[in-house]
Amino acid sequence: MLIQESLGIGEKLAILADAAKYDVACTSSGADRRGRSGALGNAVPAGLCHSFSADGRCISLLKILFTNQCVYDCRYCVNRRSNDVPRTSFTPDEVCTLTMEFYRRNYIEGLFLSSGVLVSPDYTMDLLYQTLWKLRNRYRFNGYIHIKAIPGADPELIRRTGLLADRMSVNLELPTAEGLRQLAPSKTMERILAPMRQIQTGIREGQLVPWREGRRFVPAGQSTQMIVGATPENDYQILTAAEGLYRQYELKRVFYSAFVRVNDDSLLPALPQGPPLLREHRLYQADWLLRFYGFQASELLTPDQPNFSALMDPKCSWALRHMERFPVEVNRAEYQELLRVPGIGVKSARRIAAARRSAVLDFPDLKKMGVVLKRAVYFITCRGKTMYPISMDADFIARQLLGEERRRQWEIGEKDVFRQLSLFDDGMLGPVGKAPGGRREIHDSLYLPGLF
Amino acid sequence: MTVFTCQDSFESILCGVYDAWMSRLGHDQVRLELEGTESLELFARYQEVREEAWKSARVSEAVQKKAGRQVYEQIYRASLSREPEKADRIYRYLIEAFRWGRRVEDRLADPAVYELFRMNRQVEREAHHLIEFLRFSRTESGILYGTIGPVHDVAVLLAPHFADRLGGENWVIYDAGRRKAVVHRADGPWFLVQDADGSLEQALKGGEETDAESWEGLWRIFHRHISIAERENPACQKTHLPLRYRPYMTEFQRRRPEREGKEAKDDHGV
Repeated sequence: MLIQESLGIGEKLAILADAAKYDVACTSSGADRRGRSGALGNAVPAGLCHSFSADGRCISLLKILFTNQCVYDCRYCVNRRSNDVPRTSFTPDEVCTLTMEFYRRNYIEGLFLSSGVLVSPDYTMDLLYQTLWKLRNRYRFNGYIHIKAIPGADPELIRRTGLLADRMSVNLELPTAEGLRQLAPSKTMERILAPMRQIQTGIREGQLVPWREGRRFVPAGQSTQMIVGATPENDYQILTAAEGLYRQYELKRVFYSAFVRVNDDSLLPALPQGPPLLREHRLYQADWLLRFYGFQASELLTPDQPNFSALMDPKCSWALRHMERFPVEVNRAEYQELLRVPGIGVKSARRIAAARRSAVLDFPDLKKMGVVLKRAVYFITCRGKTMYPISMDADFIARQLLGEERRRQWEIGEKDVFRQLSLFDDGMLGPVGKAPGGRREIHDSLYLPGLF
Repeated sequence: MTVFTCQDSFESILCGVYDAWMSRLGHDQVRLELEGTESLELFARYQEVREEAWKSARVSEAVQKKAGRQVYEQIYRASLSREPEKADRIYRYLIEAFRWGRRVEDRLADPAVYELFRMNRQVEREAHHLIEFLRFSRTESGILYGTIGPVHDVAVLLAPHFADRLGGENWVIYDAGRRKAVVHRADGPWFLVQDADGSLEQALKGGEETDAESWEGLWRIFHRHISIAERENPACQKTHLPLRYRPYMTEFQRRRPEREGKEAKDDHGV
């Protein structure tokens, strides 16, 4: 292992940002804190995204590792012990100054500090605690802090760190215990879930006592993340695991990270197509349905049908399997029913519910409220009428929707978006694999000119 | 038709609302226009709005009392919009607001309400983006100085956020297109400054090259290294971070030559 002792802060930042970038969570939401005189910063409940990197991901926090030295040898991880990469470590003061100066210039919303395990979990957790203590008390930083709890660290250290942070997270790493045994032999599910439970209990207790300045435990809640596509779990297992975490551990967010093959290891899947980005995208869509739309994992997937369709988003798939519930009359349907219509989101459902008290709504009104009509149009009526004469046949609607969804899938899965599109428009592209759709269906969609 | 012409300011538009309303000509017979934005119409009578504090005060009081604080804030934000029709749209909206009270916001199917909702949303969205994307540089004298080029006149909407967040700092947010600035003194209030002759801009620009140089370089390093090459997706980046904001953002500005060499070395080392 090459340990760099005399690196400049720029070189350290490059190495330790590189080492941290596979961690997904970069949200800064959930904390609401006004500025204080003598301190720098506040926290905005909805969170802010200060920039976007070339991969299109949001940059909200200064996401770095304290050190990329690690005693573990997890097969999927770029920082595994046996990898020959330059290793380095920040000092607490370096982390603090970087955070302060970046924050002042409005580059970031706060700090997201994680770390490889140096010496032992306790030792590492203590380093993180020292850094946060300094940042809060010596540097007087009042902005957002997201910190990783290191599994296996002393609960007292985690408790103290949690009192300085806004959000804490423990990485689940992989959705099943079996996956962990294979790829991360030094981690176990029990050891990961223990601090998660501790943080959950701490948050609950904190909510019971009256709020005192700076003393609340993890006010922005807890999150976790798991890697998708490194182990053979299907979407159903992953989504059920996520649902369990939301229910039993009251997590604020579960993040999914498409596996990027950074190490050449025989136990890791080869991914000639690149990271499973579309699969990750589907999981996030389903995650949203769980958290904001009142869906349950078992409604979206079943053991018999354990994976999401590549061609259709989870909400459309669900709707097409439940055509008996559609069409829904926009002017009368319950809010919960509206939420289940493809193309209607939380905001537009709220606007509809408010606006229809004073007027009878028609399709142009819906468009103004942000409804995506090209999807919703198959599932709703206004004053008892559909927008076009539509056959309420699931297969027909599926074909119509695919015209649009296939394009979006390309945008996510393929790089050469525009070339693909022009091929598609020329009608030169035959059916893709065994997937439904293809040239004949494209002609079918001509029944509704102007729809797409 | 009588056309009331007002200036491009919230107060003047409110005075226009007052004059148009109190003329008792009937809502169909009056229109509000910003001075100099539309060509003159034949057979219309033009009347210039006299700006007087008591008029705008009476309208703003009435709005807040009858339609609530939220409606008042909506029309304020709409008045910052770039659209020249905004004065008349605010007038039309207020007709509905006085009729329906605070419930007016929900009446999106009504065109008068929708137009205001739309303008308000545009302005709000741009202000929100700039709260995120604004970049400060530190001048020699320690002032944080950020330049923006917004479509709508949103500088004033950014001020409360940064006054709370950076309360202990001296900072200036400069709208380069409108030549106006929000100036905040450490632990003090903020105020709007018109910079018609560009002297403020000159004064601040001169002292920009200081330690900011190194922090800006570090930020560019971070921004580059946090991206995952296997996931590169410029289209997605563009959706979230439209190109028009980028000329003002540190991470998209060209690096200065002396940093270039050093950073290139970083790349080899990793």
